[in-house]
Amino acid sequence: MKCVRCLHDTAAKFAEAPDKSGAWEMYACSRCNFTWRNTEEPEVITPELRDKNFQFTQEVSDLQILVPVPPLKK
Amino acid sequence: MNIYIENIKGHPGKSVALNVHGSWANIAVMMGMDKNTPVKEQFFNFLGAWDKYPGEIKFIDKDKAPCHEVVIKDNINIVEMLPMFRINKWDAGCFFSKASVVTKDPYEPDNFDTQNVGTYRMQVMGKDLVGIQALGFHDIARHITHAEETNKPLPIAVCLGVDPVLTFMASTPINYDQSEYKFAAAINGIPMELTKALTSDLDIPANAEYVLEGEILPRVRVPEGPFGEFPGSYSGMRLQSQFRVKCITHRKAPIFENLFMGRPWTEIDYLMGLNTCVPLYKQLKETMPEVVAVNAMYQHGLTAIISTGNRFGGYAKSVAFRLASTPHGISYCKNIILVGPDVDPFNLEQVMWSLSARVRPAKDVIVIPNTPGMPLDPTSEPAGMGAKFIVDATQPAAPDLILRDTRLIDNPDSKGFEKIIADLQKAATKK
Repeated sequence: MKCVRCLHDTAAKFAEAPDKSGAWEMYACSRCNFTWRNTEEPEVITPELRDKNFQFTQEVSDLQILVPVPPLKK
Repeated sequence: MNIYIENIKGHPGKSVALNVHGSWANIAVMMGMDKNTPVKEQFFNFLGAWDKYPGEIKFIDKDKAPCHEVVIKDNINIVEMLPMFRINKWDAGCFFSKASVVTKDPYEPDNFDTQNVGTYRMQVMGKDLVGIQALGFHDIARHITHAEETNKPLPIAVCLGVDPVLTFMASTPINYDQSEYKFAAAINGIPMELTKALTSDLDIPANAEYVLEGEILPRVRVPEGPFGEFPGSYSGMRLQSQFRVKCITHRKAPIFENLFMGRPWTEIDYLMGLNTCVPLYKQLKETMPEVVAVNAMYQHGLTAIISTGNRFGGYAKSVAFRLASTPHGISYCKNIILVGPDVDPFNLEQVMWSLSARVRPAKDVIVIPNTPGMPLDPTSEPAGMGAKFIVDATQPAAPDLILRDTRLIDNPDSKGFEKIIADLQKAATKK
């Protein structure tokens, strides 16, 4: 399934309304970690309608690490 | 005003509470004061409670703790178990914005005081996976680094819906070896009731509505954010730590408490208002007794106003340098305004008067470039770097040249009338 933010085929359903009413389903992208419900406003969950500033077009490795992983203690 | 939401689609029996700390009246009531108490008075009341540290701790048996009424260890799915929601439109997902997060220093597992209770944003990324923003100056980052140096998972407990005073202390920048639990007990004047977590040795608030227990995965960084943040803008997307939830416990009919933050002022500004002022005041006062009050309520202290006496020429500027070297001030306090002891730093009209009538631009305005910065501040570039802007609006003292001989107008003596008017207003609201 395509992620609505990074557009990679790395998203999947991971939750649904717990009362089994089918009120909503929720999806997560394993690449950029974006999550969304199928019941949210179209502007948030439709790639073509989303604000381009909030799309993820980089590579994950390009992101800044705020707290670096420390060297292992011997 | 608090907001309480019921009848949530797909989540029968669950409810959400918001804005519990969202006004000066709410903060006053939390502190046991009249809801109309002025902010400066609340500041001095908080100072008084602060001096009662440490308060007492009382342990409740695991089996009797209300937070353990329901225990879920299998098939964890966070968003199916809690009624979570996207807070701001362009947020990367649902996040916990108001949790009290408990961790211990793996090098000192038996030290109760270095056990940390802090508030960090946590993004739900899957059934049981959560990202956590632990910045370098956060106490939890120290714990994570210690665990990662030895490649061990770090136990974590995410406590939701706790005593409002504990939430308040969890977002207060106290010293590394001071206990948030003992502070909360000191402020409340009654022991803080804790119990043991079920999957680790962590101490957790016995009365929490929900507790998520898990482990921070060592040496892992994953894409996190962006989220609408306290400066009123979206943060960047960065690589941050991640934890896996192993167990969720909650009370019967639990209330999920979360916090909305938007363009200031919103609930977070009230929550982080006075609790930013008081530790900064305390740390300044230790070595600079001339300091009268600190108002660092603006975006967690990105702007701070200090009222201080000028012991000798240029002294107030040294107070600013001291603020910029406190644990919180190093990265947060960017705009530092100094006013005289006759100015109430919580009264912005008085502060503006001071800037108008006491600042000599060529002498009293200083910019120190390339200092540490707060990464969520949109002016911090690159994220984590910043500058200090100091404006000295105090009355100069010798040997500095004194301002032209100026005679201030005395304020009318209105103390007696203020009380009468306040009582009349109170009586009118009651009707």
